[in-house]
Amino acid sequence: MWRIDPASDEPLYAQLVAQVRLGVAHGTLRPGERLPAARELAASLELNMHTVLRAYQVLRDDGTLELRRGRGAVVASTATDLTDVERAVAELAAAARRAGLSVQTTTTLVTEAMHR
Amino acid sequence: MTTAPPSGTPRARSGTEVWRPRARRAMAWSSLAGLLFALAAAAVVRAWRDELPAQIASHWSGSGEPDGFMSPTALALVAVATTAVLCGLFAVIGLTQGAAASTRRITAGGCVWSGAFMAAIVVGTLAPQRGLADASQVGLSGAALLAAVLLPLVPAGIAAALVPGDPAMPAAEAVPDDAPRATLRDGERAVWLRRATGGPGLAVGAVAVALTTLAAALTAEWTMLVVPLLLAALFVTMFAFTVRVDPAGLTVRSAARWPGTHVPADEVVRASVTQVRPLRDYGGWGWRTARDGRVGVVLRSGDALLVERTGGRSFAVTVDDPAEAAALLNTMAERAR
Repeated sequence: MWRIDPASDEPLYAQLVAQVRLGVAHGTLRPGERLPAARELAASLELNMHTVLRAYQVLRDDGTLELRRGRGAVVASTATDLTDVERAVAELAAAARRAGLSVQTTTTLVTEAMHR
Repeated sequence: MTTAPPSGTPRARSGTEVWRPRARRAMAWSSLAGLLFALAAAAVVRAWRDELPAQIASHWSGSGEPDGFMSPTALALVAVATTAVLCGLFAVIGLTQGAAASTRRITAGGCVWSGAFMAAIVVGTLAPQRGLADASQVGLSGAALLAAVLLPLVPAGIAAALVPGDPAMPAAEAVPDDAPRATLRDGERAVWLRRATGGPGLAVGAVAVALTTLAAALTAEWTMLVVPLLLAALFVTMFAFTVRVDPAGLTVRSAARWPGTHVPADEVVRASVTQVRPLRDYGGWGWRTARDGRVGVVLRSGDALLVERTGGRSFAVTVDDPAEAAALLNTMAERAR
């Protein structure tokens, strides 16, 4: 399912980008799977087609998608398997909750760790 | 997510019978049109009666020699009787199962095709035998046979197009509380898109096309190639469908762009997940109409999205992960009320 919340602060194209990344991480989008045509997705979500194309381009640039003429957007075979990260994040969230940490504090810890 | 009871259960029965007058009308005029084709052919036979041999060739052996003979009158009678039987069969299907406009279109087209086919067979068989005293040497033209199959598709297509579609029938009652819903925030937009594929369609199609092509090659009868061509066209339209649930409702369309169908969100009584057994529930694979009028795009056995629709109609499509689609469609139906 594709969702768009126009009331959200997140830009519309970024909402699509996040959903594709999550889909790949959760395994609901498998390598080689074809994403809907930009025109169709845009029509159903009442978006400008360029919003969808921008999302697809961002995802191509980070290697999640391959854009092929005539075949549309396909999940790249090199798309990163995020299963390990997902598991670790779940553990982190559980540990943070046990320690009574706020979301902000936990996020700060993650940001700091990423910059190390 | 609960599994839906077999469709066609009383829940969707309110106002079920509104389609019956429409089915009666469509079956009446299409049967009449089919019979008129056969009767027109009989009139042609009568007009030609002085030019035809007393016993005309009516059947040919595999080698192309005529091996069956009858009087022209008998051939005309056989054509009219066969048309009556075929139209009767289509009419019974249309009258008993024609809740959906697509079913009424297919059966009306079938009636007209049958009559036009029998007429074309009669005229195509007799035309080359005019002026002959003895029909024992007359050949069978492959081109005439081909024309007899293909040309009647034109009036059949016109008849199908003339059958009116279902009028808008918005649901009066709210979506049942126990029907699953998707959690969407106010104003949040959503769409569910998936390809319905799988099942034996592609393999069966490839084998059927290969075998009929081989048969045409072995008999060196080029007109026989129309059989694998028609089969290929049929399988291309039937082996994959795209399924879309969005604010407009449910749209299911063949990967070949045709055929397709749309269930408007405001006509959705309830969407749910069901288990489909193609042969037992729908009598086969592809675009199906079941004995009780339920329509299904059935490509494989197992999970399917089932939509109970106003007017006692029901539509199912075998697609992976239908729970999410059902929940979203119920939510879209609720928004459309």
